[in-house]
Amino acid sequence: MGTPATAAGFSQGLKSGSPVIAGGKFLTFVLAGEEYGIEILKVHEIIGLMPITRVPRTPDFMRGVINLRGKVIPVVDLRAKFGVPVDTATSRTCIIVVRVRGIEMGIVVDEVSEVIDINGQDIEPTPSFGSDVNTDYILGIGKSQGRVKILLDIERALSSGELASLQTGAEASLATCG
Amino acid sequence: MTIDDAMAIMMQVDPADAAGFERLQAVLESAAQNPALNAAARAYVLEAHTQIGLFQCGEISDAEDVLIEVSRLLEIAAEAPDPANPQAVSAAPAEPVPAAPPAAIRPESRPAAPAAAPAARPHAPAAPAPESEQLPADADRDLLAEFITESREFLEGAESAMLALENTPADTEAVNRVFRAFHTIKGTSGFLGLRRTSEIAHAAESLLSRIRNNEIRFAGGYADLALRSVDIIKGLIQGVEQALSGGPMAVPEGYGELKTLLSDPEAAGISEASAAVPAPAVVPDAGPTHPEAAATPAAAAAPAAAAASKGDGKVESSVRVSTSRLDRLIDMVGELVIAQSLVAQDRTLVQDNCLDLLRKVTHAGKIVRELQDLSMSMRMIPLRATFQKMQRLGRDLAHRSGKSINMVVEDGDTEIDRHMVDIMNDFLVHMIRNAVDHGIEPPDVREAAGKDRTGTVRLLAFHSGGSVVVEIRDDGRGLDREKILKKAIATGLIEPDKSLPDGEIYNLIFAPGFSTADTITDISGRGVGMDVVRRGAETLHGRIDVATLKGQGSTFSVRLPLTLAITDGMLVRVGKDRYIIPTINIHLCFRPNPGQLSTVAGRGEMVLLRGDLMPVFRLHRLFGIPDALEDPTAGLLVVVGDGERRCTILVDELLGQQQFVAKSLGDGVGKVPGVSGGAILGDGCVGLILDPSEVAAMARQHPGEVDGGRNEGKTAA
Repeated sequence: MGTPATAAGFSQGLKSGSPVIAGGKFLTFVLAGEEYGIEILKVHEIIGLMPITRVPRTPDFMRGVINLRGKVIPVVDLRAKFGVPVDTATSRTCIIVVRVRGIEMGIVVDEVSEVIDINGQDIEPTPSFGSDVNTDYILGIGKSQGRVKILLDIERALSSGELASLQTGAEASLATCG
Repeated sequence: MTIDDAMAIMMQVDPADAAGFERLQAVLESAAQNPALNAAARAYVLEAHTQIGLFQCGEISDAEDVLIEVSRLLEIAAEAPDPANPQAVSAAPAEPVPAAPPAAIRPESRPAAPAAAPAARPHAPAAPAPESEQLPADADRDLLAEFITESREFLEGAESAMLALENTPADTEAVNRVFRAFHTIKGTSGFLGLRRTSEIAHAAESLLSRIRNNEIRFAGGYADLALRSVDIIKGLIQGVEQALSGGPMAVPEGYGELKTLLSDPEAAGISEASAAVPAPAVVPDAGPTHPEAAATPAAAAAPAAAAASKGDGKVESSVRVSTSRLDRLIDMVGELVIAQSLVAQDRTLVQDNCLDLLRKVTHAGKIVRELQDLSMSMRMIPLRATFQKMQRLGRDLAHRSGKSINMVVEDGDTEIDRHMVDIMNDFLVHMIRNAVDHGIEPPDVREAAGKDRTGTVRLLAFHSGGSVVVEIRDDGRGLDREKILKKAIATGLIEPDKSLPDGEIYNLIFAPGFSTADTITDISGRGVGMDVVRRGAETLHGRIDVATLKGQGSTFSVRLPLTLAITDGMLVRVGKDRYIIPTINIHLCFRPNPGQLSTVAGRGEMVLLRGDLMPVFRLHRLFGIPDALEDPTAGLLVVVGDGERRCTILVDELLGQQQFVAKSLGDGVGKVPGVSGGAILGDGCVGLILDPSEVAAMARQHPGEVDGGRNEGKTAA
């Protein structure tokens, strides 16, 4: 990056257009051998893996729906989203329930690690890997305790043309009462 | 003291409270001496002061009348021309008020009041009236919101009273109810600074007070005027509501026109006989056009054996609760039911013979079930309001089409699920339109057929066998079987030689685009209405039937479940997945033997059952379900659909029939074809509720598809 030591490393946003963000608390988790982090404020809760009801004719990354204390919420598999092969669940697999644009969704992760504090200075803009790798949904790369965590922009990661109805909403059938 | 102070005090005065009048008197005196007042306003305030004085010394006996008069005077005083506000109505200089105080209060000379108003009114349209206005700058949002809700209730009550009055104009209680509605709305809107609403309410109140004093009768043009006032006030209130949420405060169309009409109805030729059609079932005599002559006490003298007041006897106290909170409560109760039943079914409890614990759990279960019944009942609202709207609609439509129709409404205190009301409203509108436009004949035709000139359309609601039934009965011309058949053949809907039972012929009227109307009116005839009705009934998981007798009338009945929250369904298994098929869609289930199955062109599969040939649709193919049964003779075929659209769906196993709490799949998933929603199963998992007609449609469109469209399609085996 070549940032002069004196510069407040914040307002660059030069490389690959990704915003450099302020530091804060992140919930970290493991997915396909990589470590990720999500802003803690976006996390609603963490639950153990429960049977997911498959919904036919939905995109591959949509695993299905689950019952969260009476509310039916969709569950997404980020591996599919990132193009990583899906693996079998282990006893440590859980679902992180996040709140995106007012809608609650679950994401399946291999293992939840911990909540850590990362300073803004320890967050680097995402390097560009060329057009093969889509890095739109990465806020930045965080460094903590000698390890690297990929900080996800969970809103971008969970909304794309395919998840069509995030905005338009269900043409809710009249069986809805909740 | 200012005029506003006086008005505030006046609104709090109880007609029976002498001390209140004294206080008012004092305030008026002080207000009259306020140097900020201009001459015109002062004259009015002094007049109001005189009125109170007359009342106090017994010259005027009716306390309420005095208050009304004082209120009127104060309003005019408040609007008296103010140099800072050139748009204000300039009434004062022309008023002979100080010269005729007794006249102002005598009820009989009330025509002077509206007569005075026209002198002022013409100024209003002349001034550059803006298309909309702003909410008063100091508007208190909470007060406004409450005003909106309360006024709507008042207007509803007033409208219902007015509809009753059309049949029994002598019903003084109904007249009073309407009067009070306008009076209260006038007062509150004035207090809140909603000038237009206050003005119209004031004008309508004047009209009503003429009726109350038996000067004119609630009939013909006057009735129309009163009803139109209700409409305009409703529109104004809606404008306020929009303004509260940041939109413009639009003024409904016809506002200015109505104001002019109300200010001097007679000048516009309005009278008891001036409606285009004589008001239904009332007033056989076409009175002379001059109002004074028509105000014969004859009708008033008729015994006030008015119609029984429509069920507003008992008034229950109630609370307002936000719907989101209510929905959340109901959801939680639903979850509680499941949680409790999971505990009750736990193996430990059953196996280890802990009777004591079992008893406690069962007890808890009883309480939970009662909670559930209660919460279910909270989703219900009475049909009365909807039916009343329909009554009004029917009346208006009848007038427009020149027919004489008596709209009878019996809601029987029936309630339905809140979420169903809107859809029901839509298809009721279509059914009423149909009855008025196609069902009931014009008076001459009816007379020629030996019927009463006035037709009757009856709207009923009642419970029957666990469902709610809504019926529309008319004594009109009934459905013409031959005409329907002919039209259906002509449009290619059915084969010419096919013989159909009567029931199916009448069901043809529900087909989209079907209409036997020779002409299209703006009300109906385009062939859209009945299709909407059937689809509405289906959306509500209901069924519509029609019974008819040519020349005598028709009865349309719609049978609906009590609530959409609960779906009675059959749980089925396909592969490892579980789905729910609503019971109302299922005709029967059976296991076919090989002889009944056949294929067409190697792709379409069919099954023969009792002479009926139906297509076989494989759910596992449509939804891409792995490890599912492929051999129909080892599984089960569920017969769904009606008439021509009947078909069968292949499932592995039936798991049982039960009631499910239906839930939306949420915005994250969106609309999934073939699935109408989700339900929480007994073990806490989510099951998908199928929409059989959608499934059938999907299957017809993609006959050879495998894996639900995700992978390459393979041809059907």
